[in-house]
Parts: sequence; C-alpha cells; structure tokens
Amino acid sequence: MRYMIRKHKNLLNYSFDCLRRYRMRTAVILITFLVATTMISAVLFTKDGLEREAEFSVQSAPDLTLQYLKGGRVEPINTSYTSLISGIPGVEKVLKRTWGYAGIGQYTFVVVGLDPEGLNYSRGVITSLEEGRFLTPEDEGTGNIVIGKLLAYMLDVRVGDDIILLSESVEANKFHIVGLFSDASSIYTADMILMSLEDANKFFSMPEGQVTDLCVYVSPAEDPVNVASKMNSIPNLRVLDQDLLLRGYKAAYGARGGIFTTLWTILLVAIALIAFSQAIVVGHESQFEVGLLKTFGFSTLDIIEVRLVESLVLGFFATSLGMLLGFSYAAFLNAPGLVDILLGWAYLPREFRLPVYVSLQSVFSIYAVTVIPLLITTVVPAWLNAITDPELAMRRAAA
Amino acid sequence: MRRVLILPVLAIVLTAALLSVAVYSESQWSMREYDKALRETVALPSIAIGTNYEGTRNPLIEVFVRSLYDVPGGYDYIVSSSFIDTPIWLRDFRETIPGFNFTAVKG
Repeated sequence: MRYMIRKHKNLLNYSFDCLRRYRMRTAVILITFLVATTMISAVLFTKDGLEREAEFSVQSAPDLTLQYLKGGRVEPINTSYTSLISGIPGVEKVLKRTWGYAGIGQYTFVVVGLDPEGLNYSRGVITSLEEGRFLTPEDEGTGNIVIGKLLAYMLDVRVGDDIILLSESVEANKFHIVGLFSDASSIYTADMILMSLEDANKFFSMPEGQVTDLCVYVSPAEDPVNVASKMNSIPNLRVLDQDLLLRGYKAAYGARGGIFTTLWTILLVAIALIAFSQAIVVGHESQFEVGLLKTFGFSTLDIIEVRLVESLVLGFFATSLGMLLGFSYAAFLNAPGLVDILLGWAYLPREFRLPVYVSLQSVFSIYAVTVIPLLITTVVPAWLNAITDPELAMRRAAA
Repeated sequence: MRRVLILPVLAIVLTAALLSVAVYSESQWSMREYDKALRETVALPSIAIGTNYEGTRNPLIEVFVRSLYDVPGGYDYIVSSSFIDTPIWLRDFRETIPGFNFTAVKG
C-alpha cells in the first residue's frame, strides 16, 4: 500500500515537472483555453441571468393573456370580450391593456396604458420609484406618465417636466412626468413609459372600444389551464398561459445566446486541434522520453497517468480562471463589446447592470466541453507512444 | 512551496473559488427579491433588454418572427431561427409549443 502511494506521488511530481518542462505546450493550451472560456462563460452567465429575469416577469404576468386573431395575425381586441370572459367560471378579473412601441430618435420605447381598474387591484406596494409617484385611477386621461431611467437620461427630464411625443399618426402628444423608476428596476422599466389606458388609446389612435390585449386573472382555487379550455369556442380568440410565454421567451434568449454558441463550437474545435497538434509536436521529444521511461520500468498505464494529470491540471486551471474572468467581465464590467455586437441587445442604460447568473449547470457544461476534449487530445497520443516498443521509440525519436 | 506545485495548487484554488461563486449565485437567485408588485401591475411578460430587437415585449408572436421579421406567411420561423443555436440541446426547440399552432389552440 505504502509502495503504491509513493509510486503515485512520484508520478504526480513527474507530471507537474512536465508542465514546466514543456513550457510552449503549456502556454499555448493555457492561453487558448483562457480566451475561449472567458468569452463563452460571459455570454452563458449573462444569458442565464436574462432568462431568470424573464422568468420573473412571466411569473408576474396575468394567468392568461387574450389576443384577437384575424387571418392568423394579432389585431386589437374589442373590449366587448371583457363581459364575455368575465362570465366564465373561475375568472376573477379581466383587465384591458393597450401597449406598443414609440420611436424616439433612433431608439424604441415601450408605451403601456394601464386599466384604472387594475391600479386598484391590490398586489402590494410599488417601491420601484426613485422620484415622484406611481399612477392612480385618478390619472385616467390626464396625460400623467411614469418613465424609466433610460428615457429620463436621454431626454434629460425629471419629475414635474412635460414631454411631447410624436405618435405614429404624426400627432404631437403632451405628457406630464409624475414618477421616475429607480435603477433597481431598470431591467424591467428602463425603456418604459407608463400611462393610463385612455391616454395610451389616444396616443396609438386605437379605434373606439378596442385595446391591444386582455389580461385575465383566475381565482386562486382554479387551474388557469382549465379556465383557458373553456375559452376554446370563443371566435378569433388566442389564449396564452404563463407556461407558454415562459417557453417562448426561453427559446428566444436561448437563440440569442446561440449565435455565440455556434462561434464558440468552432473555436472549441480549433482549440482541440491546437492541443492535439501540440501533443504531436512535442511527440518526437516525448517519444524518446516515453521509451526511456519504459526502459526504466514505467508501464503504459503509468505514462497515461502522467499525461492525464498534466491535462487535468492544465484544463482545470485554464477553464476555472477563464470562467472567473468571464464572470467578472460580465458582472463588474457589463461585458462591453460582447452583448452589443454579438447578441443584438441594442443598447443598455448607463446605470443598468447586466443580470449575471453563474449556474452550476453552466459551470459543469463548460468543464465538460473543455476538459474532456483536452484529455482525449493529449492522452491518445501519449497512449500511442506508450504502446510502441521502447527501443524502437527511442530510435525513431533520435532519427 | 516548490515552483512545480504552483500550477496544480492554483488549479484547485481557482476551481474551488469558481464553485463557491456558482453556489453563491444559485442561492442569491433563489432568494432574489424583485419588483414583483410593479411587474404584476404592468403585466408585460418580458424585460427591457432588446427593445430594438423586433419587440420582445410582445407575448409570443414577435418572439418567433424575429429572424425574418414579419414577411407574409412568416409565423413559423421557430425552425428557421433555431439555426443559430443547437436545437437538440433545447427542450423548447424539440417540443411543439402549444399555442404556436393556431389550429391546436382553437381545438
């Protein structure tokens, strides 16, 4: 037993010494792995964070969202549906909502008109305001708005100021700012302009009695899916539940991260080739070394163990350091250059912090796709050398 | 400490540090307090990222037409837009998404 321990200790020491001896190979593998894992981990951790934030939003969404379909396309829905839906057993409340996009300069902002009835529908205290107040039912039709930090920063406005927004129908609409969202809620409110339903309908020139969609809240005792199934026979109605929205958004953010995943896969193949070529390049040198070691009594397994330990140390060092750098790059520096260019996230407010989620699943995935290929590309050449006759190996290496 | 041991020791330390960060991050996200009351009141099921990216705040539809945008007959772009990821890795791409097929919704 003591002999075995001493033997493995010696093999370990020998592997560590090899890391220093083959400096060029160690440096090449370290640098390439470091670059690859830093970039991919920054993107993956950010993507995971965005997915989680989207999950929170979906969990806060109405139990059911109703849209009006015509020819398979979404159109404004008539408010007469409200009484029809309210009569369905299990439906607690139906709220109207009008929302859309407004272009200011080269940017797009989201304008949301809230049903005054919904503002009375108690969900807790809204504490996400830096200044001013939230909307109340009394703000209906007054032109009072609450805006996100991004818009406030771009237009250089604050609570108490008036702003004029040009609508799609090229009409100037004057609004009065009564509240400003805080930095803490920027991930949700940065681009948002909240106003009353009446103001939003006017801004978007919605036809009389129509809104964008309906939000349905189901009684806590009821299953939303069962309630949704009772709406199947209502013409032109499209029913979206939370699960559906969640899966849709996960697919969307997954696809955004995907463009980088594709590039990363190519990069990984390149790295595996570099590691393999390095193993071959030092092959001549190590062929002689392996022959010598076998002459001294090393077995094939001992030689594989030496190379395995070398690869494990290199792989874990470079990958762990790369992931820590990637995390710091995303969490503390907001991943400059990466999210803007590769993932199409158009712009970020100055105060905005990227949500970064270092999930164990992503960490182990990155280890799996970096360390295992490295093991294969270094251990296989070592095994091929080790099974060659030692004398022949040394003669070949010397030739 | 012997110089040859620096790299192996650092490998262990960095791996332990990374796993600690991951465990901390997992616990932070599981206990995360977010602006729930606000999100419930506004009720848009999305976040402010990507508002210049074909309107991700729209429930479902615009999410799927993002690749080729709103060209006629373009409501089944989930497949064409999946080329930028590895579809087999994503459950969402493997499974049929109910509600995406309008006929199925109408029953």
